[in-house]
Amino acid sequence: MDCRTARARIEGKADGPLPREAAAELAGHLAGCPACASEDAAVSATGPVLRALTGIRAMEKAPALDAMWTRVRAGIEEGREARRRPSWIARWAWIPAAVALAVLALLYYPAGTDRSPFHPRTFDVAVEDVESEVATVALVDKGEDLPRVIWIIEDAKT
Amino acid sequence: MPKPDPRGRAGAPALSFLLLLLLLAAVPSEAADTVSVDVGSVYASNEGTSIDPALGTIREKLHSMFNYTSYRMLDRKRRSLSVGEAGEFELPGRRTMRATPLPSRGDNVRLSIQISDGPRKLLTTTLGLRRGGMVLVGGPSHQAGVLILIISAE
Repeated sequence: MDCRTARARIEGKADGPLPREAAAELAGHLAGCPACASEDAAVSATGPVLRALTGIRAMEKAPALDAMWTRVRAGIEEGREARRRPSWIARWAWIPAAVALAVLALLYYPAGTDRSPFHPRTFDVAVEDVESEVATVALVDKGEDLPRVIWIIEDAKT
Repeated sequence: MPKPDPRGRAGAPALSFLLLLLLLAAVPSEAADTVSVDVGSVYASNEGTSIDPALGTIREKLHSMFNYTSYRMLDRKRRSLSVGEAGEFELPGRRTMRATPLPSRGDNVRLSIQISDGPRKLLTTTLGLRRGGMVLVGGPSHQAGVLILIISAE
């Protein structure tokens, strides 16, 4: 292994452990190269120093981070409250929508063959005139509670 | 942080009201000079003993008036007609019925009815009934029984 490759692996080691074979090759090179061994020692010492520095910075920034999180949490709660208590308009908005749906159902109820039952209110019917060119017609009246019937007798069939 | 848009909430009911208004405007208003003619074609026979539930309260009356054991509604049609406007109703057995509302007063309806079997005019009549009233026209043969027409006007 040459020094150039060794330096690249030293930098790679700082980011995470090297594969076993690559680590063994690097260790072999470091044993015979004082310059690379010195570089490796310097890079290896940098990691803990950076971590310590980051910890110190985080401690310094903790109050500011806490304040920001409090604001974020308050905003979330505010949003939840607004959703829980909609205005009275929004609460009753479904009524006109339901009425509109009912009107639609009435309008577009199949009108071709209506299966709704008959419920006549009256059987009071006046037959002003009645005639037939090809049949005998009888008018049947069985009382006010029953409908009047016009009966067509076709060629004495019925 | 995005906040809920209050205009969206106010828009929903407004849109619903608008839809309702549009629908109400689309509903044809029943003017006083318009008659809704309803014609039900009932097949009465002695084949079986069933009575169609769609006949409603008229079932018992049909049973008490005629000597048939089975009543089945084959078809029912409703048409809104203005005074003087003739409405054609197709009946079972290639028969037709033509109904024409005539001028009338108050709650009464006058209907000119003509029932034809091809070129043959089976019946020509003029009826005076109250709105919501009903009359039966029966007798034309159909299959193994007869046809009874339930004619009502609203």
